[in-house]
Order: sequence, then structure tokens, then C-alpha cells
Amino acid sequence: MHSHETFRVQDAPLRPLLVKELWEILGGRALWTMLLLMCPLIGYSFFQAVSLYGEASAAGLQSSVLANSLSPLDGVLVPTLGASYVAVTLLFPFVAIRMLGQEKESGALRLLIQLPYRSSTLIAAKLVAVLAAWVLSSVPVLSAVAIWGMLGGHLSGPETLNLLFGHLLYGLLVGTIALFAASVSESAATAAIVTLAFTIGSWVLDFTVAGHPGILNWIARLSLTQLLRTFEQGLLSLGLVVGIGAALCGFAALATVWLPLGTSIRTKILRSTVCVFVTALVLGLATQIKLSIDVTEDKRNSRRRSAIARDFGQALGRDCASGAGRSSLCRPAPQCVGETRTGAAKSFYSSGGRTPKSAN
Amino acid sequence: MLEAIAGILPIDKGNVRWHGKPLPPSRRREAMLYLPDGVRPYQDQPVARLLTFFANVYRRSTNEVEDTVESAGLTPVLYKRVHALSKGYGRRLMLALGLLTPHPLLLMDEPFDGFDLRQIRDVAGVLRREAAKGRTLVFAIHQLMDAERVCDRFILLADGRVRGAGTLNDLRMRTGLTSGGLEDIFLALT
Repeated sequence: MHSHETFRVQDAPLRPLLVKELWEILGGRALWTMLLLMCPLIGYSFFQAVSLYGEASAAGLQSSVLANSLSPLDGVLVPTLGASYVAVTLLFPFVAIRMLGQEKESGALRLLIQLPYRSSTLIAAKLVAVLAAWVLSSVPVLSAVAIWGMLGGHLSGPETLNLLFGHLLYGLLVGTIALFAASVSESAATAAIVTLAFTIGSWVLDFTVAGHPGILNWIARLSLTQLLRTFEQGLLSLGLVVGIGAALCGFAALATVWLPLGTSIRTKILRSTVCVFVTALVLGLATQIKLSIDVTEDKRNSRRRSAIARDFGQALGRDCASGAGRSSLCRPAPQCVGETRTGAAKSFYSSGGRTPKSAN
Repeated sequence: MLEAIAGILPIDKGNVRWHGKPLPPSRRREAMLYLPDGVRPYQDQPVARLLTFFANVYRRSTNEVEDTVESAGLTPVLYKRVHALSKGYGRRLMLALGLLTPHPLLLMDEPFDGFDLRQIRDVAGVLRREAAKGRTLVFAIHQLMDAERVCDRFILLADGRVRGAGTLNDLRMRTGLTSGGLEDIFLALT
């Protein structure tokens, strides 16, 4: 039965490890409890969003300007996924922490790290399970989107996918932070405190220092809450995606560094410093990437920029032509933006958000 | 000590040599497996699933798994969840996990803890058969009677120091207790 040869790390198949992690996350109560809480939360948000959107759409029949400002992305998808965001922020850490925290507390980690897998492989397998948990937790959201489609609501594929992609990145980031916290902490309770310090701390950061000039504004941009804003505006920013990817890899690397029990604290701190430095470097480089794609159906982000530029030019031109007669440089701008929007095709809904209409 | 040898506890100094060559902590899991005491891994999972996981990791066949289950006496609890096992069956599960691995060296902490006399004899028989296949088994045992029943060589430790090492006959000769048991020898050496 036994070859009595040493068993090398590269000999071990990955499948059993992945299956074990999936069983662990699916067999735990944390995931199902979270889903149980998410369903009414997302359902209520969806109901409210559709109701408000329907009312606004009905009013939009009387005003083309209002109609053009309505979009299912802002009116339905963002509020519905907003409820998911709250759940992922507050509940998802407990699901992810369980992946490692329970193994630490039961002593199973002492067996796991002796298996023929690298620490990075163990963390990667746990991340796959975290991803599976996120996919499961997005079922209520996807159901809401499907119901919206069945009600006759309009959905733009790129907009929806972009927003879901943003939430996926956010969920994975929260999951990776939770794994890192579980790797560093001795108990699941401590890991939960560390993770919530990140997520709720981000909220606090967002509320208190956002909008302030200078360094405070820069600090506010570090908030996890800010990550979703770009996706919610219908923009796919390459720099942001690279930045989130770097943060994900950074936290996963830190979790890997802190996982082995036989490594001294000094060595772990040294390796962590290298990880933090490399992650900071990539994050710095990511801020230099300016490429972003406007995935909105009406290309509102692109038009907004060009409209602002044109309005600014027109305003300057009028001022120049009429001399110093106008007191406000910005006065003509809303009219021009209104004209531009009125000229563009937009989809909106009337009759409680059920009938798709088009306004030109 | 066994955790330090297995490389899952950081050490200040000292090294482990394997076939005369130093074995760094990161490579010790290739040569040895340490089965800790008092561990109930993956408590929400059924015993069978946990055994299947280990068997798949080390590419064990169904026959090998069945032999191990029978040797360890786990058949009655195969579909019970790990948290529902008694202390004795918990030890049997850990033993079965150890038997499923291919490591030439198996380190076990208190392998007989939770067993009655009959069970100790059964498990000792299983361990002896495993050793007969060419595997080296190292146990940390506080009950010297149990150690005497199953082990060929002994290292007697007290207050963190080695007080004696060798076979039972070596230790008897050293202490002059020609018919003494391991307990008598330990008392004579400490």
C-alpha cells in the first residue's frame, strides 16, 4: 500500500482540494443564513426600486427631459444591487472567514498544511470557494433581474454585466480581506472584527472625509465603497479593474504568507512587507491607467463630457461675441445639455414600469 | 516536540536530518505526517467524505480505503458527522487518515488516548502491521505501559531532557533492572 517514497507537492491533484472547499462552504450554516437574510432585503429593494421607477416613468410621459434622464441602470439595477452590496459588506465576511477560521479553531489547519499543496494553492482553492459562495449569493439579485426582464423591463447587456462585474470584484475583495484576516487572527471572532474594520471603516471614511479637498479626498478614495461608484455610472475603468485586481492579489498573498504555522513571525513580517510594497507599486501604476469604456446604452458618460466641453466652448464664444453683457458663464450650459439629451434615443417605462417606450 | 519536528511549529535552533541530509521545514511534509492529539477536523462533514478527501489527495484506490476503514474499525460510524464521534472513534479517524497517507514517517501524539484496554490492543496490532510494512511510527505517549506494549525503541523525556534512549533491553542494562518494566526504568532514570 505504501511506497515509502516522499510525496512531492506537485504530485497532488487539485480536484479533491477544490471539492473539499466547496463542501465546506456549502455545508456550513453561514452561507445559507446569509442567503436567507439577503432574499427579503434584495426583494424589498427591488420592489421599491421598480415602484419608484414606474412612478418616475409615468411622470416622464409629460416631460421628455425627465424621460431622458430615466434609466433602468440607475432606477432599478443600482438600488437592487445596492441591497446586495450591504449584505456582502456586512455578512459575506462571516462566510469567507469560516473557510479558514474554523480550520484554525478545530486544529484541522495543522493537518491541511501538511497536505502536499503549497500555501498559495490552499488559499487559491479557498478563493474559488469564496467565488462559488458569491455566485450563490447573487442568485437573489439575478432573480430580481430576471423578474424585471419578465415584467417587460428593458435591460442593457453591457450595463448589467458591467455592474455585476463590479459587484463580483467587490465581493471577491471582501472575501480576500476576510481570508487574510482569518489567516492572521487566532480566532474567527478576531478575524470578523478585522474584516468589519475594513468594510465598515470604509463606510465611515466615505461619510466623513469624502468631498473634502486635498489629502482627505485622497484618503476617501481608498474606501471600498468608492470601488462600485464607477461601475454604477456605467463605466468600465481599466485602471480601477487593475487596481482591484492588485488589491485582491495583495490580500491573497498576505493570507498565503500568514498561513504556514511553522514560519517565524519575523519572516512573515518581512514577506508581508514585500507583498505590501509590490501591491502599492501596482496600485500606483493602476492610477496612471486612464482608459475607461462607457458601457451605458446612451453613452451618457461620453456625451456628458463632450457636451460639457461644447457648452463651455459655446459659453465662451457667446461671452466673447456679446462682450461683457452676461454675468454668468455657466448660464447657457443647462439648455445645451437639455438639447443634446432631447435629441438622443432613450428607453423608459410607463404604467408601473412594464411597458418599454422610446423617446426621441 | 513532534510539531517542531514536523515543521508546523517555528523553532529557534536545531534541524531535522533525513537520510543524513538536512530537511528544511517546507519539505518535511514530503517525508512525514504529524497527527495531532485532540483534533476533530472538518466536524460538519461525514467520516466517509473526510476519508475520501485524504484518499483522493494521495490517490488511494477504493480497496485501500476499504482496508483502512476495516483496520481502523470505522465501519459503524462511516456516515456519522465528525462532531458526533466519540473520543475513541475520533482517534480511530485520525489513525485512518494517517494510514491513508504514504509518508515513510508517521508522528502520532497520544495515539491510544480514549481507548480501553481491548481497543488499545486492537490498535496496537494495526500499528504493528503498519510498521511491518516498512513504515516508521513515532508516538508521544504518557502511559508508559501502552508504549511498552507497542514500541521497539524508546526515548524517555523528563523536564525537557532526554533521560534514556534505546530498546527495552538497552534501558534495562543501563539501569540494572533486568526484569523491570518501562515505568520502573523511567522512575530509576528520573
